[in-house]
Amino acid sequence: MASDKPVVVMERLTKKYGTFTALDDLTLTLYAGQILGLIGPNGAGKTTAIKILVGLIRPTAGTATIAGADCVRDSHKIKRLVGYMPDTFGAYDNMRVREYLDFFGAAFGIRRRDRIQRIEEVMDITGTGYMRDKYVVSLSHGMQQRVGLARTLLHDPQVLILDEPVNGLDPQARIEMRDLMIRLAAFGKTLLVTSHILPELSRICDRVAILTHGKMRAFGTVEEIGRQVSQRRTMEATLASADQVSAAAQTIREIIEADAEVVEVAQEATVRFRTARQESELGDVLTRLVQSGIRVTQFREVQTDLEEAFMTFARATEPAGDTPPVSGGRAHA
Amino acid sequence: MLSALVHRELITVLRQRRMLLLQIGLVGFFALLVAVRWPTDARVALSGVRAQQVFRLFSFGLLGMLLLLLPVFPATNIVHEKQQGTLALLLNTPLGPWRLLLGKLLAVMALAGMILALSLPAASACYAMGGLSAKLLCAVYGLLALVAIQYLTLGLLISSHANSTDAAVRWTYASVLGLGVLSLGPHYFFQGTQGYMADVSEHLRTLSPFAALMSLLSAGDVGGSGLISTTDVPGRFAIASLVIAIVAALLTVMRLNHTIFDQARPAGKISNDQSWQVQTVRRIFFLVDPQRRSHGIGSLTNPVMVKEFRCRRFGRLHWLLRLVAVCAVLSLALTYATTAGTLDWGVETIGSILVVMQVALIVLITPSLSSGLLSQEVESGGWQLLQMTPLSTMQIVWGKLLSVVLPLALILCATLPGYVVMVYIEPGMELQVQRVVICLVATAVFAMLLSAAVGSLFSRTATATAAAYSVLLGICAVPMLVWLGRDAPFGHDVVERALQLNPIAAALSVIRLPGFQDYSLIPANWWFLGIASVVSLIVLIVQTYRISRPR
Repeated sequence: MASDKPVVVMERLTKKYGTFTALDDLTLTLYAGQILGLIGPNGAGKTTAIKILVGLIRPTAGTATIAGADCVRDSHKIKRLVGYMPDTFGAYDNMRVREYLDFFGAAFGIRRRDRIQRIEEVMDITGTGYMRDKYVVSLSHGMQQRVGLARTLLHDPQVLILDEPVNGLDPQARIEMRDLMIRLAAFGKTLLVTSHILPELSRICDRVAILTHGKMRAFGTVEEIGRQVSQRRTMEATLASADQVSAAAQTIREIIEADAEVVEVAQEATVRFRTARQESELGDVLTRLVQSGIRVTQFREVQTDLEEAFMTFARATEPAGDTPPVSGGRAHA
Repeated sequence: MLSALVHRELITVLRQRRMLLLQIGLVGFFALLVAVRWPTDARVALSGVRAQQVFRLFSFGLLGMLLLLLPVFPATNIVHEKQQGTLALLLNTPLGPWRLLLGKLLAVMALAGMILALSLPAASACYAMGGLSAKLLCAVYGLLALVAIQYLTLGLLISSHANSTDAAVRWTYASVLGLGVLSLGPHYFFQGTQGYMADVSEHLRTLSPFAALMSLLSAGDVGGSGLISTTDVPGRFAIASLVIAIVAALLTVMRLNHTIFDQARPAGKISNDQSWQVQTVRRIFFLVDPQRRSHGIGSLTNPVMVKEFRCRRFGRLHWLLRLVAVCAVLSLALTYATTAGTLDWGVETIGSILVVMQVALIVLITPSLSSGLLSQEVESGGWQLLQMTPLSTMQIVWGKLLSVVLPLALILCATLPGYVVMVYIEPGMELQVQRVVICLVATAVFAMLLSAAVGSLFSRTATATAAAYSVLLGICAVPMLVWLGRDAPFGHDVVERALQLNPIAAALSVIRLPGFQDYSLIPANWWFLGIASVVSLIVLIVQTYRISRPR
């Protein structure tokens, strides 16, 4: 459902608190029907970027627009265009789910008859119909997240901005939330989602932006980001016996680049290495291993996943000495 | 282990900046209490009358401070730990419920001790002036220590049963007001009479520390009208406060175990899904059934107002209607009793009872309704969501104020039948009743705006509620302290000026209650209430804009 019409545009967005820069020169464009995953460690500037978009924070420099409406000057338009789900639910005591949705519907000025119908629709979309008479404070976290999503959908916004929507959810609730977000994108909604749960994001996002220390370090599809992480690919040779791991690692070192990283994982009877060699040259590696009497049961490329990419960027921007030691085998240059 | 608990509790409270400000404020207040009446003449009477007058004022001020400041600490203690999850950790340690309670009690007692210790220099100054015995000094401080123990244990008990910090604060201050002030009410009206009610009111007043302190300082009774009581009020108060403290401690200990967490989530039962018999019974019992399925908010209704009504536990329509019904029946019954000659109180006394009843309701209910209007939203994260709706700041504030105005209007209407009957009996009182009604309306508006403005200065609801109660009760209580010291040490003019700030005194002077009839408080009091209300409204609006604007 993605189109080439830009919906969310951030241009050199910067936010400073005194001398501290929370967001540094962020430029990003999101098209209609796309899902953008905004990832980064705590304090990376994700929530700051989101709050600027929804008009809760003023940027120090730069501009942000949603469907052509400026996030600073046109805050009234933004409220109609955006459905914002913050990382805190915002429950009210003694209020039932239907009353809760009724209040927010009324706050958005939806007429009573239309509102009643719309509440039924959003409860149907989010699967919250069965909890309509329950008190919102008594709901589990997963249920509250769904009600929160129903609340953001009430006024049928063009863009949904969800801050940590799957945080704290159990696996089943996480899968349901993921499916729900995909369904909303299929309806033509544009979604901007932040999360720490990277496998979830990699499955649903069209684009991913990695932020650390307020700066965008990478942007693109998961595959594009994987390529940005390194020009070298990770290969893995699984052996029939753990006894041959050292011999296999030695053989591989003789063939590939001298500075290549080769890791022996004896527990898994595996040798992993990173190389820039092409397919045909990798075939030679396999041939040499077999000729050396090493029994190889599997020889494959390991895809760079979002977690690995994220960790690469996060570590690259950490101050010296903060990087935790690598474990799980010996690293050789 | 116990000392670690006391240490942690104390350190948590004492390291706050506001505690430092509080201590500085207290020292200044106590010094002021003494300095205001310190003799400046070249000669001092040897009888020490002046020292006794100063000490009397100082003691009442100290008691008032204890009652205003102390309850908030125990009230928020256990419920806050429960919400933070640290109570579960504490219950998981080898500390038993007794040691837990003792640790918490000792910590809050240490705070009470600190407040009393801060007052010692001022008390010493009174003593140094001569005319005061060390025995009296010790007796007063002993009484204050008992007051502290009683209200601290009571606060901890309420805290162990409350589900939110602001509810705990509300109920604790209600118990302070009930035990400390309202318990004096019946005695005022039944003193010097015979019968069952006179006996009950005599016992009831011994629950009040004010009565005990007055007796100790030989200041007579509240509005004693020259009648001398032979009851050993301080003795009875000591016994009553110790009994209350022990019972409260026992009940708190019984609560400090797994049962404190053993609560099912509310099922969200709806009356509409039950049988018609159940629905009918609920309709009769509740008048407005809180568990009925509500209709959608009307298109022309302010949604914030409806939201406020729906999400509050206390102050929902069914409670208010019951309250109003009780008040209406009481006021009618009182007026009928006077008309029929059962009671020979006179119309003024009946009017005074109505005024006191209504003002007590206003003072008790208003801060709990309006102090958390903003802080509750900020604390729950709801403010951010409200900001994301097209509702303007003014619409939000107006909706919130409306949600307080309507219950207050109902409360004001509660005693109207009584006033109508009063005017019917005594047509000459029409002007007085009109003025009283104006006083009450002005009091309600003032209490609402002041509580909302004070509450808006804090981001936590419990603090906002406690601060609002303290300020409102302070405005109502401090001038009454001055009134208690009428003739000695305060002259007529000083008392009149102090009472002009007090909405209760203004209403009582209009109704010409003995003790207040000599003071001309209207229209000065209306001016004060009007100006204070406008200032409070401005503060509220400024605070709302402050938290609304993008950072």
